[in-house]
Amino acid sequence: MIEIENITKKYTKGAIVTEVLKGISFRVEHGEFVAIMGPSGSGKTTLMNILGGLDKPTGGAYRLDGVDMVRAGEDELSRIRNRKIGFVFQQFYLLDRADAMKNVMLPLIYADGNGGGAGRAEKVLAAVGLAARKHHSPAELSGGEQQRVAIARALVTDPVILLADEPTGNLDIRNGLEVLAIFQRLHREGRTLAMITHDRAVAEHARRLIVLKDGRVADDQPVHQPRDAETELRLMDQAASGAEPG
Amino acid sequence: MHFSRNVMLSGQILAAHKLRTLLSLIGIVVGVGAIILMASVGRGAEKRILERIGKLGTNLVIVNAAPARLMIGRQRTVATVTTLLAADAYAIAGECPHVIAAAPAVRKSFVVRWESNNTTTSVTGMAADGFRICNIPIASGRPFDADEDRTRRRVAVIGPTVVKNVFDRSDPVGQSLRIGRVPFEVIGVTRLRGLDANGLDQDDIVLVPLETAMRRLLNVPYIQTIFIQARGSRWMDQVEHEVRDLLRARQRLTEERPDTFTIQNQKTLLKTERETARSMTLLIGSVAGIALLVGGVGILAVMLISVGERTREIGLRRALGARPCDIRTQFLVEAALLAGAGGLLGVMAGIGATRMAAVFRFWETLISWPAAVIAFTFSLTVGVIFGIYPALRASRLEPIQALKSE
Repeated sequence: MIEIENITKKYTKGAIVTEVLKGISFRVEHGEFVAIMGPSGSGKTTLMNILGGLDKPTGGAYRLDGVDMVRAGEDELSRIRNRKIGFVFQQFYLLDRADAMKNVMLPLIYADGNGGGAGRAEKVLAAVGLAARKHHSPAELSGGEQQRVAIARALVTDPVILLADEPTGNLDIRNGLEVLAIFQRLHREGRTLAMITHDRAVAEHARRLIVLKDGRVADDQPVHQPRDAETELRLMDQAASGAEPG
Repeated sequence: MHFSRNVMLSGQILAAHKLRTLLSLIGIVVGVGAIILMASVGRGAEKRILERIGKLGTNLVIVNAAPARLMIGRQRTVATVTTLLAADAYAIAGECPHVIAAAPAVRKSFVVRWESNNTTTSVTGMAADGFRICNIPIASGRPFDADEDRTRRRVAVIGPTVVKNVFDRSDPVGQSLRIGRVPFEVIGVTRLRGLDANGLDQDDIVLVPLETAMRRLLNVPYIQTIFIQARGSRWMDQVEHEVRDLLRARQRLTEERPDTFTIQNQKTLLKTERETARSMTLLIGSVAGIALLVGGVGILAVMLISVGERTREIGLRRALGARPCDIRTQFLVEAALLAGAGGLLGVMAGIGATRMAAVFRFWETLISWPAAVIAFTFSLTVGVIFGIYPALRASRLEPIQALKSE
C-alpha cells in the first residue's frame, strides 16, 4: 500500500538548509491503522504532506498503491489525491457557504463519473451519524459534527487510504473520542488509516505506532493494548450520570 | 468539472458578495450603457440626416448667383449679381447630359396680408418644375403649373407656418393673399417639412410662379437661383462640372476670372454633417471603451480580492483533487460571469437611457441592437482578459501553503 524508502526533505532559505526528514523508511499494508507520533518539529506534518501527495520529498522513493508518487506530475497527483486519498484535517476545512451534503460532495466535482454522487454522499453522511443534519451549514454544526462531515467528505470517493492530521486536535475529549470511534469502526471494516498526532492517548487507538524524532523514525511497534474509543465513551457516560446527584 | 457546474458555483459566490459585485460592475455597466446610448444617438442622427436628404429632393444641385463665402458654416450670397438668367436654367436643362430638369428661382422677403393679419416671409418665385426638383409636397390644394407661370398668373402656394401666422385656423385655399400690394389667390398648402440644413423654417414660405414674381413683384430681369435635378446621385460631381462649364461659356468668362455663381451640392454638405455626427459618435464611443477598460480593472481588483480571501478554499480544493486547470477555469468563469452580468445590466441601462432620451427628446435615437451585441461581447471579453491574471495566480498556489493560510 504505502512504501516509503529513505525519504528526505530539505528546505532551503537563503544559505540556511533545514533538513526536516533525514531518511525515513516504512511500509503500511492494506487494512492497517497506523498512528504517526512525535513532538512538534519532528517532521510529522511534512511526512503527512508527502504521504498525501501535497508535497514532494527531496530524496528517496514513495509508492502509493503501486504509483510512483515522486515521479508523478501535478495533474496526476491531483487525480491520486482525488481517487486514492481521503484527507481529514485538524481545522476541518469545510466551505462555510455550503451545507453538509455539498461539502461532502466537493471531491466528486473533480472526479470524472460523478453520477450517483448524491446517493454516495448520503450514505457516507449516514455512516458518520449525520444523516439527519445533511442540510445544515457548518456554522450550525458543533466542532465534532463538523469533523464528522469532513470524514464523510474524505470517504465519499472511496479512497484506498485515509490520512488524518491531528483529527482530534480541535475537539474536546468527548468529540475526539467519537471521531476515534469512527476511525476504529472504519478500520474494522477493512480501511487503511494513517493518523498523525502528538498525543499518545490518541495514538494508542491505532494498531501500530510510528514515533518520529528529529526527522527519523525512533520507534515502530504494534500497539499492544489498543484503547477502544466506544468503551471509553461509555465509561464517560456512566461517570457523568453517576456524578449527578439524585 | 462540468462547465454548467462551474457557472452555478461562480454565480453562488458572486451572489454571496452582492454589494462588492455590484460596485465592481459599475465601470462595465457605464461602458456598455454608454456605447449603446451613443450608437443609438448616432443612428438617430444618421436617420435624421438621411431623411433630410430625402426631403431636399432627389439628387439636387443648387446654383446661386454671386460668389459665396463660407460664413460660420453657412453659405450666403453677398452682393447682387445680375448675370444669372432664367434662360441659363433652360439651357442647363436642355444641354447638360446628366441633368434631368432645372428650375430658375428668385427670392425676396415681403410682408404678406390676409384681412387684418400680416407677417414677413420669404417669397420664392420659381418655375413649376421646382416642386418636383426640390421635392416640395402639397398637403392640400394644388401646385401651380407651367402655363400659369408663362401667363404670369397671381397664384400662390404657401407653407404651414404662413397659414398659422396669417390665416389663423381657417382654410387658406381659395383665399386672397396680398404679397406687398399685389393680391394673389392661394391655390395650395405645402406639407410640414421642418427645419432645413441651415436651421431655417422650410414651412415659412410663399411660392409663386417665376414669371409672376419677376414681372409683378420684383420687376427684375435676372434670377438668383437654379434648382437642378441630376440624373443620379453618382453623377453629382459630373453635373457640377457640366453646369459650371456651360454657365462660364454663356457668361463668356475668361479663364482668369472667377465664377459669378456658386454651385452647391447638398449631398456634399450633408456628408460633412454626417461625418461630424459620426466622429462625435466615435469620440464618445472611445470614451465608453475606456470606461469598459476601467470596468475591466474593477473586475481585476475584485477577482484578486476573491482569490486572496479564498486562498484556503483553493488549497482545500487542490487537496481534494482539483487540478490547477480546474481552479483556473473556475476563476475565469467567475470573471466572465461577473463581466457578463455587468454587460447585461449595461445593455439594460443603455436601452433605458436611450428610451429616456427619446421620451425627453434630448436626441433623436434609434436603438442599435448590433451595438448592444458588440458591447456585451466586448464586456465579456474584457472580463475574461482581466480574469486571466487572478485565475493564473489562483491556479499556481501551492496546496499546502494555501491550506495553511489565514
